[in-house]
Amino acid sequence: MTNSIADTKFTDLFLMIGSNPDTSHPTIGLRIHQAVERGAKLIVVDPRKTRLATDADEWVRIQPGTDVAFLNGLMHIIIKEELWDKKFVAERTEDFDDVVKLVEKYTPEYVEEITTIPAEQLYTVARMYAAEGRHAIFHGMGITHYVTGTDRVKSIANLAMLCGKMGVEGGGCNPLRGQNNVQGACDMGALFNTLPGYAGLEGSDMFERYEKAWKTKLPRRPGKPATEVWENIFNGSIRGLYIFGEDPAVADPNIAHVQSGLEKCDFVVVQDLFLTETAKYADVVLPGASFAEKDGTFTNTERRVQRIRKAVNPPGEARPDWQIFRDLSNKMGYELRYESAEDVFEEIRSLLPQYKGISYARLEEVGLQWPVPTEDHPGTSVLHTESFTRGKGLFIPEEYIPPVEPTDAEYPMYFTTGRDLARYNFSSMTGKTAEIAEISPEAFAEVNPVDAERLGIKELDWLKLTSRRGTVKLRANITDRSQVGTIFTTYNHLDALVNFLTLDALDRLSRSPEYKLCAIKVEVV
Amino acid sequence: MPITLEINGSEIVAEAGLTILDVAQRSGIHIPTLCHVNGKNSDVPCGLCVVEVAGQEKFSRSCMTVAIDGMQITTDSKELTQHRQDRLAVISSTHFGDCKAPCNLTCPGQLNVQGYIAHVAKGEYAEAVRLIMERNPFPFSVGRVCPRFCETRCRRLLVDEPVSINHLKRFVADWCMANHVDLKIKREKLTGKRIAVIGGGPGGLTGAYYLAQKGHNVTIFEANPKLGGMLRYGIPDYKIPRHVLDYETNLIMRMGISVRLNQKWGVDFNLQDLKDQGYDATLLATGAGVDQKLDVPGCHLPRVHHAAQYLRDIAVGTKHEFGQTAAVVGGNNIAMECARSLLRQGVANVTVIFHRAQEEMPANQRVIREATKEGIQFILMASPVQVSDDNGKMKLDLVRMRLGEPNERGTRHPEAIPNSSTSITVDTVVSSLGQMACDGSFQGGELENGLAISPKNTIKASPRDFLTSVNGVYAVGDCVSGTRTVIQTVVSARKAANNIHSFVTGEAKDPADDRFNFTRGKSFEKVSMSNFDGIAIKLREKMPTRPPEIAVQDFDEVKLGFSEQMAKNEADRCLSCGCTAFDRCDLKKLDIDLKVNINKTGMGLKPVYVKDESHPVISVDLNKCVYCMRCVHSCDYDALELTQKGIDKNFMATGISLKFKDNCVNCGNCVDHCSTGALNKKTSIVPLNYEKMQEIRSTCPYCGAGCQLLLKVKGDTLMEVSSEDHLAPNYGALCVKGRFAHNFVQSKERLTKPLVRRHGQLVETTWENAFNVIAKNFFDIKSMYGADAIAGFSCARASNEENYLMQKFMRTAIGTNNIDHCARL
Repeated sequence: MTNSIADTKFTDLFLMIGSNPDTSHPTIGLRIHQAVERGAKLIVVDPRKTRLATDADEWVRIQPGTDVAFLNGLMHIIIKEELWDKKFVAERTEDFDDVVKLVEKYTPEYVEEITTIPAEQLYTVARMYAAEGRHAIFHGMGITHYVTGTDRVKSIANLAMLCGKMGVEGGGCNPLRGQNNVQGACDMGALFNTLPGYAGLEGSDMFERYEKAWKTKLPRRPGKPATEVWENIFNGSIRGLYIFGEDPAVADPNIAHVQSGLEKCDFVVVQDLFLTETAKYADVVLPGASFAEKDGTFTNTERRVQRIRKAVNPPGEARPDWQIFRDLSNKMGYELRYESAEDVFEEIRSLLPQYKGISYARLEEVGLQWPVPTEDHPGTSVLHTESFTRGKGLFIPEEYIPPVEPTDAEYPMYFTTGRDLARYNFSSMTGKTAEIAEISPEAFAEVNPVDAERLGIKELDWLKLTSRRGTVKLRANITDRSQVGTIFTTYNHLDALVNFLTLDALDRLSRSPEYKLCAIKVEVV
Repeated sequence: MPITLEINGSEIVAEAGLTILDVAQRSGIHIPTLCHVNGKNSDVPCGLCVVEVAGQEKFSRSCMTVAIDGMQITTDSKELTQHRQDRLAVISSTHFGDCKAPCNLTCPGQLNVQGYIAHVAKGEYAEAVRLIMERNPFPFSVGRVCPRFCETRCRRLLVDEPVSINHLKRFVADWCMANHVDLKIKREKLTGKRIAVIGGGPGGLTGAYYLAQKGHNVTIFEANPKLGGMLRYGIPDYKIPRHVLDYETNLIMRMGISVRLNQKWGVDFNLQDLKDQGYDATLLATGAGVDQKLDVPGCHLPRVHHAAQYLRDIAVGTKHEFGQTAAVVGGNNIAMECARSLLRQGVANVTVIFHRAQEEMPANQRVIREATKEGIQFILMASPVQVSDDNGKMKLDLVRMRLGEPNERGTRHPEAIPNSSTSITVDTVVSSLGQMACDGSFQGGELENGLAISPKNTIKASPRDFLTSVNGVYAVGDCVSGTRTVIQTVVSARKAANNIHSFVTGEAKDPADDRFNFTRGKSFEKVSMSNFDGIAIKLREKMPTRPPEIAVQDFDEVKLGFSEQMAKNEADRCLSCGCTAFDRCDLKKLDIDLKVNINKTGMGLKPVYVKDESHPVISVDLNKCVYCMRCVHSCDYDALELTQKGIDKNFMATGISLKFKDNCVNCGNCVDHCSTGALNKKTSIVPLNYEKMQEIRSTCPYCGAGCQLLLKVKGDTLMEVSSEDHLAPNYGALCVKGRFAHNFVQSKERLTKPLVRRHGQLVETTWENAFNVIAKNFFDIKSMYGADAIAGFSCARASNEENYLMQKFMRTAIGTNNIDHCARL
């Protein structure tokens, strides 16, 4: 997030797009509801009729997968009507002309055709967002889990810069990051193309700094993103896998493909809390420690670095994971000497400029938001207040590209997924609390009443959903929360593994898969 | 413009527009209130926050009164206290429930019985043992020999039968032994103080255990070659097997206690020696091992044995010839064990002789029944007058007894019936007429001579602080009280340890548990049967026991212990009388603080409302509701509807009803704000009474919001999760996952050992081997295909430190940039 969760107190208007925080980020959803109650305006762009959508001033029921067209359409109107922030664009950005050129063809009529959003609503939304005030955009996986994910994120940034909504309290572009520490995992360089602190692999000073600090030559060849590992196993270029705390056998798209990849891989190590589906394919399984059994830090979606603390002992011989890495590294001849998680953190802050001013002592009471350049810096609640990281904000307009797998005669329905409030991912953790199962006993296929009528589906009928990749059986829940022509389901139940259906086509930059949309056929069984 | 006002004589500068309560709270001045939360009060205000404002005739409610410049406020006075007491008495008068369960209150050791049963129900056996050991370090022995005071008060008796509490205690202890559980009980920082404990029985070991836990350097001086005292030398194997006792004493000694065996007090050392050696205090726990002798003619004949000595001989393996028939004189527990042991030593007929009726025997009736089943016979209302040799056998002359006229206290003492003599002939006589601490005095030196002794030949020690007549010397257990149960000895030793700790450190004693208690009825007669509506009969699990005719053939344990399923079934029978909000109840806290005597002013007598378990994570008991409305006012979602039908003459709500609306997101915030136990988390069934709990801050392991959590930890178990209202980023808010979905931490499905694939199967292995296998395979792949043939997936759920190390490992030890995680997934 460029801004902070607490900023919601100052926001005058929320533009929620591809995000349902009521189930995915409940305590943030709460703050947005409270802001709306206090009088903030709310625009929700979502094919689903979520709770936020029903509370919204404008609910934009978009055709899934058409967000870039929608965003370009807003910018078209804003430019045509001269609503853009001329001062901000002039002083803080560059390549504005590229946007003007590109969005020219995205007339409201053209956009209505693609997105099914009425032209009048496009005008209303564009005028509302461009108006004076602290306006925040929030987005989630409904934006990024597409082959065009990066295009969408860039288009969102274009819109926010165009209207000068960046760098102000209560505004900004605010991706709600999925996992508790996905921000931190990125910050720490658990990425195939950057070292910790987003240091590139090409001849940067930072690269040399890491070689010096780690006292070894580092590889410059870019690595393989997680989503490309499977095809590389099949073509024989990857032979060994070390999987820490992830369960690709259920969580990745097109899991039939993933499972045969795990089967084929010569040597697989899994380090986890449980014998997950993935661990069942492993040659060695290492028992790690849960968040309550070790010291460390997580970095949340607003870049806030916060402590976890050892409260209980790990069960049996399970060990804190940082110790496992240390000991295995020593075994393999690369010596690591850390006595505590804090020792590791001290090394991190000595290398990462964003973390430089953070210490465990400073995190004792409350977390700090990076960048924290010095030990007396209070942390950064709003990014880009004076300038952007690269100096000027660069407009990179993108054309609309249709979804990878359009519906057709054989697979006539769209399929999309989201989170269940009471469960998390595939329930390996939440599933251990009996009360959670009572709240959320199963996943339902949400079918619009129009589709139900047309397909002869009755409430709680068992449905067989089939995509080009696999099949899942679910019971039907007939509700107008789902858009006509689209079936939604939550993906958190192990007995309804929706990733047998999902699509493993990847974004050209981020290599994120098109989780959120594929074509299916539906049969009553 | 800030305002200036005076509270309790101190000048305070405050923001204008705040209430007096706000101003006081911000200035750290405590004004009691029950209903104020988030700036809102109950529709039926608690009326506790009243203060005196100078110039006002009546009290002002500080939550409603805006502070004004120049105000003079008094928050505490006799009149205010009286008003608050009156108001609390009214509020308490309808509150209906048990603070502590009757089992807990009845246990001499005040064990958190309901708590450990709840742990059993949840499968948390090690935590059950840790909870027991907070107050009783002898779960194995007490779990086998306790007379079970608790079970006599178990309310389940009113439904069917009491819960088999003690068998559960034994089960969890045995389970931990069988599963080699390391209990990891913490010891406090070393104090440098040295404490001598004389006697390594239950009293001495208990005292040593709690003193060592407090960080003192403790040495036990034991006269025998092994620890255990009466448990080893007075209770036979068939009740407490030796290997179990060894395990138990070892467990206690692991707290870091030194021991000197074969050191007899008064022979090998005396109290002065201990002082000279620098011990800061001494605890006497020598037990009562000196037999009260049978004082009749012939009592010195060689085949007349005395109980304590007899049992000791069995324990150390000293053999005697006992013949075919034996008489045991006396009716105490030890007499029963002597009789049962004689059977096991091959004596065919054993008769117990006692001078009163069976119901009046001091032995536990359960033990008498067990003895009877094994074939022990009884001659009651008879007393020996002479023993004589009868051709190698012993002739025991008896006189028959009857109960005399009641004395001035109404007690009828037995008296001999004139001319009623009779006799039996036996091979062996064992006399068990009770045991004393000493034979009139303790030998050893000057200090020993100064040790005051009671007429019953026990050590005199203050019942308040366990101090003897010698400064710095404390005494506990049977050497003070005469023979009592193990749990009673344990209690006195634990309390003495607390006193000794205070004596050697100068620190205040840990406060005793407050006796304040709401109860649904002190005695069974007072308990309304409507409490048990809808509870189905479910009889207790029967302890698997060896058949008596087989059991008497050896000294192997008679009772075999519950299976895990039996333990679970039995734990599920617990009615959970005690309040699981015990540790957070504000009503109780205020009643105690303001010294409201609810026994006089009254409490609810019978249930008015039916408990509501329909919510998935919250159970509701409106019998405890005081209509403070904090649940409604703390709910961020406006998802609760609390209503009342009327307000009575005492200004109390009646006909209360609570509904969760459809928009409830199960976040549980209302429970954390409930002022009593009216709302409870279904996952939190272990009541925490006066036991200490740790609170540890952490960050939620689920979504990217990064909510701050407060983990409530007891021993090695995450008991409950809540949050703190003042901390970013969530400021107290949590979702259902953040507050409830943490059972995975203690899940039985957790991986506890490294696994390696062998012949297609994943099998347990050592860390060393797992690392070797990984290193070998990664090296092989690297040398054959290059480092880029290995890829790593890091974890967006793990910490920064771990992600940093995983990528560092891949880039250095492996040498590839094939490292990624699910950021794009």
